[in-house]
Amino acid sequence: MPSSFLALTSFKDKYSTSPSSFQVSSGREVMENSVSLQESSLAPSNGTLGNSSLSPSIVTNHMCASALPHVQHSHNPAFISQSSRDLASLPPLDASFSHSTASLIHTQGNKDVSWSLDRLQMFLDLPENTPAPNQLVESSTSVLASEDHNKKTNWQEWADDLINVVDPDWSKILDNTNVLNPRVEVPKPSGDISKEQPLFHQNQLVPHGEFSSHAYPSSTAPPTKPRMRWTPELHEAFLEAVNQLGGSELYWNIFLFGIQKYRTARYMPETSEGTSEKRITSIEEMKSIDLKTSIGITEALRLQVEVQKQLHEQLEIQRNLQLRIEEQGRYLQMMFEKQKKVEDEKGGAPSSASDDLLAPLPGSKHPPCNNGKSDSEALEQDHSRTRIGPGNAGTNEDKSSSGVSTKQKMPETESTVHDESGFSVSKRARTEK
Amino acid sequence: MKFGKRLKQQIEESLPAWRDKFLSYKELKKLVRLISSAELCVEYGKADVEAEFVHLLNNEIDKFNVFFMEQEEDFIIRHKELQQRIKRVIETWGPNGTKPSEAEYKDEMAKIRKDIVNFHGEMVLLVNYSNINYTGLAKILKKYDKRTGGLLRLPFIQKVLQQPFFITDLVSKLVKECENTIDEVFPVEQEDEEEIVKEQREAITVAGKGIFRNTVAALLSMQEIRRGSSTYGHFSLPPMDLPDSDLIHSFQLNSPIPIV
Repeated sequence: MPSSFLALTSFKDKYSTSPSSFQVSSGREVMENSVSLQESSLAPSNGTLGNSSLSPSIVTNHMCASALPHVQHSHNPAFISQSSRDLASLPPLDASFSHSTASLIHTQGNKDVSWSLDRLQMFLDLPENTPAPNQLVESSTSVLASEDHNKKTNWQEWADDLINVVDPDWSKILDNTNVLNPRVEVPKPSGDISKEQPLFHQNQLVPHGEFSSHAYPSSTAPPTKPRMRWTPELHEAFLEAVNQLGGSELYWNIFLFGIQKYRTARYMPETSEGTSEKRITSIEEMKSIDLKTSIGITEALRLQVEVQKQLHEQLEIQRNLQLRIEEQGRYLQMMFEKQKKVEDEKGGAPSSASDDLLAPLPGSKHPPCNNGKSDSEALEQDHSRTRIGPGNAGTNEDKSSSGVSTKQKMPETESTVHDESGFSVSKRARTEK
Repeated sequence: MKFGKRLKQQIEESLPAWRDKFLSYKELKKLVRLISSAELCVEYGKADVEAEFVHLLNNEIDKFNVFFMEQEEDFIIRHKELQQRIKRVIETWGPNGTKPSEAEYKDEMAKIRKDIVNFHGEMVLLVNYSNINYTGLAKILKKYDKRTGGLLRLPFIQKVLQQPFFITDLVSKLVKECENTIDEVFPVEQEDEEEIVKEQREAITVAGKGIFRNTVAALLSMQEIRRGSSTYGHFSLPPMDLPDSDLIHSFQLNSPIPIV
């Protein structure tokens, strides 16, 4: 805890132009009070770090967004919590979101960040190609608006947990704000925080404004590239902060959601009939999105099966390739053998030639030099003995050594020396001669 | 070096019971290096050294075979059991069953679904196990030949190809059958909202399950291993074609360092 607090304060020091007491204290308390679901089995050993590859991608946007002309470098820990919730709550992770993410990537030096951002961007980008997702997004937001109500109660509880020690004016803002529907105007909270409210309002809507080139025609500023420099320290601070706020679940949910979008997008172009059904389905799926999880267990299982199927497919392909490669190798070897035989016969006494070949070569070459036949004999022995069962340790050892000894005997009946490529053998043969 | 790291990663992600059943790649690699240094061979004679090496490899192969066949038998039994279980649930709590109960039915079906998906995953992982050990062996043999100028690889690998652990036909068949069962068992219609709300927390545990993570790791490892190497040759596999690569990369939620 203390280290993250320190990280946050240093973070804050660097970037906050208007430090206020509540920022410092609230940051710490936010973290301590946060519903941090570290028990999530996602990150058994790699707790904080494990999720770091993703966190910056999501939270980065907000941070940079907030550093827009109007509000330069004004950050606070409470805002981090808000923004991460915001982000998670964004039901339609718009394609344009990923655009801005992409642009931010390139302004940052941090390799980790850019890698995960690339990845995130790529799969978020996918829906972009089809017009459907945007429509989906539109209809889902209106659906969400009506579902709001329901969500709000969940939100309220969680929000309360997070910010119960935060300045009451802030909590008022958060209560009042409809975090789910970006189109809804942020109602002006009372009195003293009216100054900060534009900041908040800005920060909430601007990301959308910035990203909403086609989805949300809002009145906010046109997209401008934020001029924030991402440093490793900032990165560290982020990781700490976001992870303290229940990072792992957050990321998983966002991903699950993104994946759902992805799958929806995949289905879109593929199905002509039943497209409307699928759309309805995905809208209903999106209804269930909130911070904790975005898809039910059935969907998650389906996803798991998909991945497993892919792995299986790839394994089968790989195995076939491996078989073919070795088959080809064997074939080449055979051809070489045949050719060698022909050459030997041409060259006169085949046996003397081969003896010449065999004798001077270091002994180690001989044992493994078998043709396929002898190998398969030895192999069949192996095979049958192993098949007997697990309790064969003793006999197996005998088998393997006998396997070796058969190999050692083989070369005497051999007439050629084998090699994978065939070339080095012929070289040797030439040097011998 | 890359393969060794990949293998290590996969082993780490794999189910605990499996971890010591993989190829001892690193040790064998060290051994190859040792063998290639003049001393050992001069002292013991190359033939003996090679015999010993082959002996070790055979031990590894035995290890694979034993484990693989055990697992295979286990899978056959579990597959049967799952079928029976599904049948039982449908017959008891299904709509036409002896004591139809939607709640029980849904409950049991949910459990079955989870189990069957994980079972499917385990089987696929066994196929992966087979493959990665084979790959490791092939690499070790290649290294051996390269360093000692030996001719061990080709004939030895022919032998390996016929080992039980490499013959994954039965397991693959079980996997396919399992997929059919999965299709039957998974609902076509969407669950209603209340169900989804109830189940939301469970979704997290799916992600955390060892099998899923292991699968993701395996798939990505495979892709990385096959991403063109410096020692690319006639016997090397071409780069892998993984259409959902980006999506699957996004599942790597736990790696602190991007696996590149």
